[in-house]
Amino acid sequence: MTGMAVFLQQLVNGLSLGAMYALLALGFTLVYGILELINFAHFNVFMVGAFVGLIVLQWFGLQGQAVVLHGAPLVLSLLAALAVTMVTSGVLGVAIERYTLRPMRNVRGPMAMITTIGVSYILFNVVLLLTNAQALNYPDPMPSIDYHLGGVTIRLKAVIIWIVAAVLMWGLNLFVRRSRLGKAMRAVAQDAEAARMMGVEVDQVVMIAFFAGSALAGAAGMIFGLYYNFTQYSIGYTAGLRAFTAAVLGGIGNVPGAMVGGLLIGLIETIGSQYIAAKWADVIIFSILILTLVFRPAGLLGAQAPNRS
Amino acid sequence: MKRLALLSPRQRQALFAALLMVLLLLPFLGIGQANIDVAANSCAYAALALGLNIVVGFTGLLDLGYAAFFAIGAYAYGILNSFQLHPHWSAAWAPLAAIGFVAKLGAGAAATVHFTFPFWLMLPASAVIAACFGMAFGAPTLRLKGDYLAIVTLGFGEIVPIVARNWSSLTNGAEGLNGVGPPVLFGYRFGINATPYYYVGLGLVLLLLFISLRLKPSRIGRAWMAVREDEIAASAMGVHTTRLKLLAFAMGAGFAGMTGTFYIAKLQTATPDMFDLPVSIMVLVMIVLGGLASVWGAILGAVLLELLQAWFLPALSGWVQGLGNAIHSPFLQNLELTSASELIFGIILVTMMLYRRDGLVPVGRNEVRLSYEQQDAAVSRGAAPAVARLRAGLAEATADARPAALEIRDLTVKFGGLTALKSVSLDVPPGSIVAVIGPNGSGKSTLFNSITGLVKPSAGVVRFAGRDLLGLRPDQVLRAGVARTFQNIRLFPNLTVMENVLIGQHTHLSSGAAGAVLGLPRVRAEEREAREFVLELLAMFGNRLVPRIDQGVAQLSYANRRRVEIARALASRPRLLMLDEPTAGMNPAESLELAEQIAAFRDFGLTVLLVEHKLDVVTRLADNVIVLDHGEKLAEGRADEVRRNEAVIEAYIGRGVVDA
Amino acid sequence: MALSRRKALRGAAGTFILASASPIALAADKVYHIGITLPLTGADAEAAHLILHGAQLAIKLANQSGELGDIRLEPMILNNATATAGQYDPAQAATNARKLAGTRTVLANVGPEMSGSGKAMAPILSMANLATITPSSTAPDITNPAYAGEFDPGGKPIYFRTVTTDAYQGPNMANFYAEVLKVKSVYILDDSGAYGVGLANAFEAQAKKKGIKVLGRDRLDPKAADYSAVLTKIAATKTASLYYGGTMQAGVKLVKQSYQIIPHVIKGGGDGILSPEMMTAAGFPAAEGWYGTNASPHVVDDPKLANWVKLYTKTYGVAPDDYAITAYDAALVAIAGIKAVQKAGKPLTAANVRDAIATVHVNGLQGPISFDKYGDMTSHIVAVFQFHQDKSAPLGDLNKQMRYVGVAPQH
Repeated sequence: MTGMAVFLQQLVNGLSLGAMYALLALGFTLVYGILELINFAHFNVFMVGAFVGLIVLQWFGLQGQAVVLHGAPLVLSLLAALAVTMVTSGVLGVAIERYTLRPMRNVRGPMAMITTIGVSYILFNVVLLLTNAQALNYPDPMPSIDYHLGGVTIRLKAVIIWIVAAVLMWGLNLFVRRSRLGKAMRAVAQDAEAARMMGVEVDQVVMIAFFAGSALAGAAGMIFGLYYNFTQYSIGYTAGLRAFTAAVLGGIGNVPGAMVGGLLIGLIETIGSQYIAAKWADVIIFSILILTLVFRPAGLLGAQAPNRS
Repeated sequence: MKRLALLSPRQRQALFAALLMVLLLLPFLGIGQANIDVAANSCAYAALALGLNIVVGFTGLLDLGYAAFFAIGAYAYGILNSFQLHPHWSAAWAPLAAIGFVAKLGAGAAATVHFTFPFWLMLPASAVIAACFGMAFGAPTLRLKGDYLAIVTLGFGEIVPIVARNWSSLTNGAEGLNGVGPPVLFGYRFGINATPYYYVGLGLVLLLLFISLRLKPSRIGRAWMAVREDEIAASAMGVHTTRLKLLAFAMGAGFAGMTGTFYIAKLQTATPDMFDLPVSIMVLVMIVLGGLASVWGAILGAVLLELLQAWFLPALSGWVQGLGNAIHSPFLQNLELTSASELIFGIILVTMMLYRRDGLVPVGRNEVRLSYEQQDAAVSRGAAPAVARLRAGLAEATADARPAALEIRDLTVKFGGLTALKSVSLDVPPGSIVAVIGPNGSGKSTLFNSITGLVKPSAGVVRFAGRDLLGLRPDQVLRAGVARTFQNIRLFPNLTVMENVLIGQHTHLSSGAAGAVLGLPRVRAEEREAREFVLELLAMFGNRLVPRIDQGVAQLSYANRRRVEIARALASRPRLLMLDEPTAGMNPAESLELAEQIAAFRDFGLTVLLVEHKLDVVTRLADNVIVLDHGEKLAEGRADEVRRNEAVIEAYIGRGVVDA
Repeated sequence: MALSRRKALRGAAGTFILASASPIALAADKVYHIGITLPLTGADAEAAHLILHGAQLAIKLANQSGELGDIRLEPMILNNATATAGQYDPAQAATNARKLAGTRTVLANVGPEMSGSGKAMAPILSMANLATITPSSTAPDITNPAYAGEFDPGGKPIYFRTVTTDAYQGPNMANFYAEVLKVKSVYILDDSGAYGVGLANAFEAQAKKKGIKVLGRDRLDPKAADYSAVLTKIAATKTASLYYGGTMQAGVKLVKQSYQIIPHVIKGGGDGILSPEMMTAAGFPAAEGWYGTNASPHVVDDPKLANWVKLYTKTYGVAPDDYAITAYDAALVAIAGIKAVQKAGKPLTAANVRDAIATVHVNGLQGPISFDKYGDMTSHIVAVFQFHQDKSAPLGDLNKQMRYVGVAPQH
């Protein structure tokens, strides 16, 4: 491969990675925008979503790499699995909010964040114990067609993922910008008290934000499983930290920012691995996180960092 | 735990002494080397918990990467006392060899240097090294707000093990350091026997416990807790929040560094895996379980979690497996509960946060039982002469300084597109009382915030006693002699009345961390005097607050909380006292009483600027009244003049209604 | 907290009662212990259990055969893993070592599985003169005389192995790559763990000596999911082969993704990839064609051992792997040492058993076993396997899904 082809290939790889990080970052930033709460459990909802997708697909009889579908059965089974995954993850997110976070809503300090760490740990360890820490093979029903453009290989899978991610993100953006509920969410994000006084049911809005964010996380999880063909209890952790950095980089609380941040981090990861070394990828990403927070806390697209102490 | 609190101090000391006896004799109680080993490890975790408690519990900084400092201390010792670094031997190394820091390995041209820095030297040295890293990392990041700080520390906690893993030449990477030397005490080389390590660990815990207990009630400890409770109020009371956060962070790092050296000396090997995120989280769970900010709670949490992992879960597993063998259930036979300990940690975190946020050893002893007489007593006012100190302090401050005049010229404050204050100018002559009134939203609080450094004006000049106040931090403004109260009362909710008012004296006390730990007589005298001063100040309010000295302020009535806030501001011996709606929430009788007290302030030379809504209070107190409306000065003059001013009436009531 | 104390006391009482009620009642035999220290929970649990059963079987058979005279041997099973580490934990291993050293009836130990634990345990065992025979710890440092000061302060070797070390596993594979596969170039990866890095280093050094061009060396983060960046980089080098030193945590993803990105490159790894996860997680067709090595001869399919395999499978409900065999052999060594001390009429102490083990000759399942003066096995056989799907056998049966290729060339 020529130098240029390698670069382009890493670009393609980075976009696929980035699409996934963007989806994950989006859900996370939605919740942060409204509650100003860093929800550590979000990334393990992503992980649970991957497992739910696995269970549904296996229930359809899709095992390992053996079964490949085409056309309508492929689309229908994927859509069905995606729907179930998203709903399940959404419900999980709402349950987490309702039972563990709502009682903490008015508590100052790091308490609420500590609670999300606890919930995250619980999800992580329950799956660890249930799967015995083993990785599981993920069904791969999509035909493995590759497109070759000038030395660069683009897998059909990657294209499908881009499309799904783009549709989900566009849908969310539309929802946040146009719908009444979306407006209510933005109002609560800016000033919960004022919104309440305007008749907005803050509790309901928070629940919807959690549902939407968690559903996106679940979708990202299933996409992860389909793309990498495996799932394991630990996938939330690394993907999580990167998605987190993406959200911060783009501007935490900022929806388009999360998308931009996700793509950027994906690209940085692949380009960095190519031209520096894979072993320093984590350090690079964490350094970006720290530097962003220190020098430009509002992120690339964020307006102003919240002032609440 | 409540029962413990009811024991008298003597009884508590006896209990502690008995416990200490047991701990000292533990290795001789026949529990076996393995259990002594577990006990030694528990000491390490207790030390870590104590350190993190200072950062999270005392100061409210959520540090999710604490294990990074543990790693730094461990590797510092490990690298300087192992075979990892082996430069060529040359004569330059001889002096170091003479004092035992290095040894010559091999002979002739192939001789290399074997680093053998002594353990006892490295214990404090690692503390310092880790503290330096803490400061280097904290300096740019500690000003971030809570959740951001947590993330940043998480990142740091991830980076350190990765660097250890990748920097193989220094740390031997993933394979870990080999041959880390054990401690040598007067020629006795610690072997594999766990007992000497246990005693070192116990000593470490006792040392750190001592330091924590000394720091907590000290000036520094109070300042940390003020930062945790309300950073803005702390800053307004003279606490340099960033410096104190840095101190807490560095101290926590130092504790962890020291513990890292101990842990590694005992294990004689170090691998990067030993310092990953689960370790940081485990220490966090320990202090959450024990009770954030509770020193004893931190130790209790550490011991409980260690016992859980090392003894309770394996024992339970054994019992369950025995049961499985008896009833032939393969599921039970193979059940290993030890792998569930992380799950249990998560459950502990969630349940503690939801149901018992104070932890097992709650810090609060805030329930003061007032006698029936005390509760039922008629309120009385205290006499002013008790504030002799205040008067003397003011006199001293005024003696060789410029007159305490506040001058504001053309002050303009903009928030985005909204102009909150537009070219406001006013004067507060020394020794006078000036009131600022105006309808809601007229900019009164913004005015206060601009003067005290909480808000940055876009134009204008603010001068007090000839000194330019703009651009100063709130704590610097306090040091310049300007103290304030807040419109919606910013007390430190989890602290007592005494502690709240003591914090007001932060800038007038001078004892630092070292002095507090050493318990110097000068420091003790200072604390005593400070407490006396608090009592004198509170006596001003009669028997309302003095009996409630040790009560948590969250339980006081609104009026009493206001009084505490004023006392706190006075405790800083200001020359200018700024009160934002001091009589809000008080009934007419209380309002007038407070008005009288404020008038009395003027008698000992205090200058007062206040925001008030109640016209009778304003009339009683103010020498001059300034009216603000929509950020502009509408009128100025004596109270009765201003009352009759048409423009003022319009501003309050609206156009079209003019009343005489 | 009072509740849990009560519960724990009940638990302790219950264990005691049930232990006494177990079929092997406290007879008139004198009971001695053989320690078994393995990471029984966490990432390596499955493999550890196979090893555990191998050792248990040897002890059980020895008791039943009556060859031990009037003593009885019981395993003292200790877990080297903690939940916090999620895998083996050196601190826990050290604690276990102290426990063994402090128990008078422990005559020898089988284990540890992982070298990281071994490094922590060795000094403690050395000071106690307690021998341990490891069936799978391959890091060469522990028995390297250059590091005797660190790992063997007591002066007499106590770390014995029924498996050869990475000092042979890595280089012999490099020999295999050069002489049998005849590749001209290789790209080397490790998983940043202690074992993987050591193995990859050993492979790299020998590969260079054999004239294979090492086109690059990189490191995988086991926690990351996406290795496409590194693999694309490798693809660009047009390497003929790939060698991976590490375990399946990174291995699963590497196997899957390298199948996508560098399908025609010859791929191989060490014993870390000889795991059922190759099939259950990585799966075929991704795993197809991967080479792996075992630091012991391949005997599990040997028809001479068929009965043994049947017995193992029947007793423990799971098929043995090659390390179950080395574990069985390790226990045999311990037992042989104990018998030698009995025969010589000396008192049964750990020190005496250690001395006996150092000079023992045992006919184990893998063949004759003896140790050099540092504790390493005198035989250095490294077996090479290749993964090849057998659709008729269950997916998780490691022995059926890989073919034995032969012994790696040794020099």
